[in-house]
Amino acid sequence: MSERNGLRYGLLGLALLILLALLALIINRPDSSQAPAPAAESNSIESLDALGDQAPSRRDLNIQTWQTAEGAKVLFVEARELPMFDLQLTFAAGSSHDEGVAGLAMLTNAMLNEGVPGKDVGAIAAGFENLGANFGNGAFRDMAIASLRSLSAAEQREPAMQLFNQVIGQPTFPEDSLARIKNQLLAGFEYQKQNPGKLASLALFERLYGSHPYAHPSDGNAESIPAISREQLQAFHTKAYTANNAIIALVGDLSRSDAEAMANAVSAALPKGPALPRIAQPETPQAGLQHIEFPSNQTHLMIAQLGIDRRDSDYAALYLGNQIFGGGGFGTRLMTEVREKRGLTYGVYSGFSAMQARGPFMINLQTRAELSDGTLLLVKSMLSDFIANGPTADELNNAKRELAGSFPLSTASNAAIVGQLGSMGFYDLPLNYLEDFMRDVQALSVEQVKAAMAKHLDTDALVIVTAGPTVAQKDLPPPTDTPAEQPSAIPEH
Amino acid sequence: MPMIAQRTAALLLCVLCTPLLAFAAAPQPTHEFSLDNGLKVIVREDHRAPVVVSQLWYKVGSSYETPGQTGLSHALEHMMFKGSRKLGPGDASRILRELGAEENAFTSDDYTAYYQVLARDRLAIALELEADRLASLKLPADEFAKEIEVIKEERRLRTDDKPSSLAYERFKAMAYPASGYHTPTIGWMADLERMTVEELRAWYEAWYAPNNATLVVVGDVSVAEVKTLAERYFGAIPKRTVPPAKVPRELAAPGERRITLHLKTQLPSLMMGFNVPGLATAEQPRQVYALRLAAALLDGGYSARLPTRLERGEELVSGASAWYDGFSRGDSLFILSATPNVQTGKTLEQVEAGLWRELEDLQNTPPSAEELARVRAQVIAGLVYERDSITSQATAIGQLETVGLSWKLIDQELAELEAVTPADIQQAATTFFTRDRLSVAHVLPEEKGNE
Repeated sequence: MSERNGLRYGLLGLALLILLALLALIINRPDSSQAPAPAAESNSIESLDALGDQAPSRRDLNIQTWQTAEGAKVLFVEARELPMFDLQLTFAAGSSHDEGVAGLAMLTNAMLNEGVPGKDVGAIAAGFENLGANFGNGAFRDMAIASLRSLSAAEQREPAMQLFNQVIGQPTFPEDSLARIKNQLLAGFEYQKQNPGKLASLALFERLYGSHPYAHPSDGNAESIPAISREQLQAFHTKAYTANNAIIALVGDLSRSDAEAMANAVSAALPKGPALPRIAQPETPQAGLQHIEFPSNQTHLMIAQLGIDRRDSDYAALYLGNQIFGGGGFGTRLMTEVREKRGLTYGVYSGFSAMQARGPFMINLQTRAELSDGTLLLVKSMLSDFIANGPTADELNNAKRELAGSFPLSTASNAAIVGQLGSMGFYDLPLNYLEDFMRDVQALSVEQVKAAMAKHLDTDALVIVTAGPTVAQKDLPPPTDTPAEQPSAIPEH
Repeated sequence: MPMIAQRTAALLLCVLCTPLLAFAAAPQPTHEFSLDNGLKVIVREDHRAPVVVSQLWYKVGSSYETPGQTGLSHALEHMMFKGSRKLGPGDASRILRELGAEENAFTSDDYTAYYQVLARDRLAIALELEADRLASLKLPADEFAKEIEVIKEERRLRTDDKPSSLAYERFKAMAYPASGYHTPTIGWMADLERMTVEELRAWYEAWYAPNNATLVVVGDVSVAEVKTLAERYFGAIPKRTVPPAKVPRELAAPGERRITLHLKTQLPSLMMGFNVPGLATAEQPRQVYALRLAAALLDGGYSARLPTRLERGEELVSGASAWYDGFSRGDSLFILSATPNVQTGKTLEQVEAGLWRELEDLQNTPPSAEELARVRAQVIAGLVYERDSITSQATAIGQLETVGLSWKLIDQELAELEAVTPADIQQAATTFFTRDRLSVAHVLPEEKGNE
């Protein structure tokens, strides 16, 4: 969640690596199995037979909501089991509000905890850490986030909230911190130059969005960042970090009156001003393919189109359809055909990013450079087939069952709940949204999913970016349910 | 000097006498029992949501492997998804996906573990599938022939083509001259090339016994329910004799070792590691907790010493970290790593000197009461936050049990850390941060390969 930490460790790949390696060297099983064998011998799984089709129950959330005097929307779930709380502020203050100064929203957010009146960055960090509290921040295209996790006892909660309210309400944006963070960002841009996947993604958003504010990356770029001044950060903070522009999500060991008092204090600490206008919808982009020459072993493929905004009435149908086509990895059509039957890739995924304005639908994968043309054709023909024919009834039922089964996991922890509340508040979804979504998904028919996919996707309208070396192309290996025992049937990476 | 230390100790004690308000909530009920076949089961109740995590931990990992046979534990983990008596290749994953479960596995130096997170009403399925592959793994030769190629690709992807991973692998091989911690978990490529399915079968038969495993279940369950299910699915699997597992011991002072690597990386970096004991091998447990506090003083948050002094103060590094895992099966390493601040023109030599200044400061000056209080506050809060995730809870329990310690250490952690005095920290720093325990790796971009 913390952009700051993300940045630090992004620059310090080594430290991250060591953490990973030492914590567990978690070498995940690759999703490399072959096509699911129908059944193994005759030994049935008795517990599976006994389960039946009933959807599991989930935690009852009892979401409460109200508005503060200054106009911030509050969503609250009381969770008394653990003596802690999570607070998440979501502002419509993402990079889509940069207004020509790419990186302004991100830099403002990253600088929140670098100084407040009477405290420098070290004192702020010590202030939170002395209490065992965690401050987090992050900026994206639609939104910017500031969050706090703390113990709920008054002796921790009160000073932690006081410091948090200073950080979000009175950041001083000190010049020395600004210079340091700019330097870290510039080093990060250097780092990106060796990452063909990142380069492809930057080009893809430019082509999809043209002059729309989603076109540029939230981090800005090496040209825009050095020029951003302290005054610009202050002005952006005053304009975008207002109570009217904020959602306050709270989960934890708090009474309703505790939560009200905390939300009121947060809201009062913020600058006064109106909510920012919604982001306009983007224009339809020009279809076509762009290639970025890059000396890698693999070619990165990104295949995209404008998708939907978060309040689109087809959201449930598209979510379910995508889950079958390429969402969530193992067992999807894309994974089965591209990886398991042909060994072309280590992983292939598709998804709709539903945002405030229309976000992208995107398929991405990497494959051996000499097979990239054939792989691209294969993926396009699969998409075309899915749009034309939709899922099978079995696929639909399995996906419904999977979603119903995973539903309890989505609200199992305070951390998961506060994220759900922030998103529901930000996209202005009803309080019973989670139940409605599950009900809508379960009611969908094959025809409805097919119709929704066909309404929103068109293989002639695809925007495609590839990054990799130019090499002589080879034919794809034939598909097989039981791949030959040859290295050629094995993914290259 | 002794007086200063004493006064700091007094201050520390004073800070420590605040009542533990944070622990107003009762600890999670945790139960422990064993089946007749030796399978140890630990159940922690967490009734906040109708979900459960099941993890099966085996006492085997890359530190158990011998030269020529590296990578066996990890390869076996892959093959556990390739079929058993009731399941064809990939079946378990497909079944679990359709149930909405999250599932995977991981291998490390000291353990191999498999997990499922799922709605509470489907715990039985997770246990039945897990028991089936413990009792009756098939290990088909044709599946292995394909899977070993995937594993080699995984090695290329995650180690050979990733400069930071490659550097750490070489560093670790140098830093552990005597013990099995020398071995990379994924295995050396030469050993993957010559691995056979017969070796995997022998490895499976040697170590995958109920008496060499720990089942950890955390979530909305009762101990009675888990006991019934564990008996039903695991109870009939026979106990077997497993080979003796020797605690990985290192040389106390192997001598200073240095390595320079020129890799396809953008930024230079360095690693420093000191050979130190873990809780399983330390003469006094207090040394281990003192080292943990030393790591926290250096890198426990954005206000800790490395970010404050080296990153923001001197602008010597663009990032630095300190890391120590005392909860290993044998000896351990205290590791520092850093990337120089190239914008301000800093070199690896300057960074290494800067890290040494911080280590010497730990040796020469007792930490302030304020710093220690901060570490304590973070430990207390961290113990509560960890309980928000059933997976974190299960992992902490499983890891401790599998390295031969007890899950009950989680509950003692705070008291152990509080017993450490500033003088203990100085003494541990003086004992362990010495040149003859040190390994250093300098990682440089390829084009600057003329050092």
